[in-house]
Amino acid sequence: MESARLAVFAPVDSTARVEAVIRRLTDAIALGLLADGEQLPSEAELAGQLGVSTVTLREALMALRQQGMVETRRGRGGGSFVRLPSDLDLGSLLRGYAVEELRDLGDHYAAIAGAAARLAAQRALPSDLAPLLRSLDEMAGADWDGRLRRLDGRFHVEIAAASQSARLTQEEIRLQADIGPLLWLSRDEHHEMAKRNLFDQHRAIVEAIRAGEGDQARELAERHVLDAVDHLIELRLRLQE
Amino acid sequence: MTQLQAGRPADVVNAAVTRVTEVADEVFTTLREVRTATAASVRSVRGRTPVAADLATLRPLLWSRLDPGRLGALIAGIGFIAAPGLLADAPWYLEWWQENPSGRPVQLLRDLDPSSSAFYDYTHWDWYTGPLAGAEHTICGPYVDYLCTDEYSLTLSVPVTVAGAFIGVAAADVFVRRFEAAVDPALREIPAPALLTNAEGRVVASNTARWITGSAYRGAPGFTAHPIADLPFALVAADG
Repeated sequence: MESARLAVFAPVDSTARVEAVIRRLTDAIALGLLADGEQLPSEAELAGQLGVSTVTLREALMALRQQGMVETRRGRGGGSFVRLPSDLDLGSLLRGYAVEELRDLGDHYAAIAGAAARLAAQRALPSDLAPLLRSLDEMAGADWDGRLRRLDGRFHVEIAAASQSARLTQEEIRLQADIGPLLWLSRDEHHEMAKRNLFDQHRAIVEAIRAGEGDQARELAERHVLDAVDHLIELRLRLQE
Repeated sequence: MTQLQAGRPADVVNAAVTRVTEVADEVFTTLREVRTATAASVRSVRGRTPVAADLATLRPLLWSRLDPGRLGALIAGIGFIAAPGLLADAPWYLEWWQENPSGRPVQLLRDLDPSSSAFYDYTHWDWYTGPLAGAEHTICGPYVDYLCTDEYSLTLSVPVTVAGAFIGVAAADVFVRRFEAAVDPALREIPAPALLTNAEGRVVASNTARWITGSAYRGAPGFTAHPIADLPFALVAADG
């Protein structure tokens, strides 16, 4: 009991936070959300946006500088700039994750996505379905590029919001930031099949929600996450260290 | 039938309806002030198209409605959302401020760039389309507001016009839990299951565990929905 109480007030693990910031920025650079040569916001601003201390941010930036992904210039017109290493690809990103971490992230994400879909099926009214249908339509017309990825993210936030749970929605948004870019990079954009699979799964989830089939909606939403994570884990296992 | 019961159940239902109207009116009164101030700001710009900075004149009014010292405050965020194309320097713009329990209100800075955000287009939200279609009182939600508050919220809005032309909406966010707290005492006076829903049937507040806040009321035998004048809400109560 006493030790449990102590744990409440223990400092938040700062190495984990540094690690999280490094990953967030690395993934964003790999995915092109941050462009080669782009200037990052000031340290104070960036730390504020990411919700970490400036000390944590500085440590993360230092690590990124060592990996050649961020360049800091001093003086007038100075600041931190994004550098896109030529060898950056899914493989080098994936090396930063152990299989166990990927599995655990997938477990967490599937639990959130599944619970949200089940509640959405119980509670959604026409005004909750309208944005989902609109996102499906827009995705069908989008090319396989940044726009489709952004719409995919919005679609899953809209499902979470249809659950009427602010906490599940916040968690969906956080998980998208943590694992979204990785999951997206693992999709094979050259495969028309992959795109069709993605759309078919989305459509099936919306149909289950619309029909009020909670168990089915949960099953489909969990599968949607776990299929992608399984694929990611296979890719990770094939990597040479 | 209700007369046989000495009118009491009907009286408490009416009292609850009145209470809901009062609570919503408190917010709408503030929104009409924001509307007047916004229209004045835009009208005072002469010889050029307004820019985002022209709307900074609204800030003292918006801040005063988010003062952390307020008692029983309902409003968590308030501002003006410009119709796309109104401003010369920003195709999409919100002059939007949120309460900050530890100090001065903070401005919401959302990524409203279509090339980097899938969430920039606010023109499909009910709090925008309602006033655009001419509704004087729009209440959007309860819904999870992932755009502004990150909370389960209601957004109340009114149209803003200049010389008859629609230029945007004045809106305010109210956390559902605060609205619920404001109307709950009146609901509890009703000696039968009763709930407040929006026009679609989403439950805003109730005195029964059968339908809790956030659940969907899809009609039930033995229950009557009493519309609430001028508001897209209904008070549903078990028949006396």
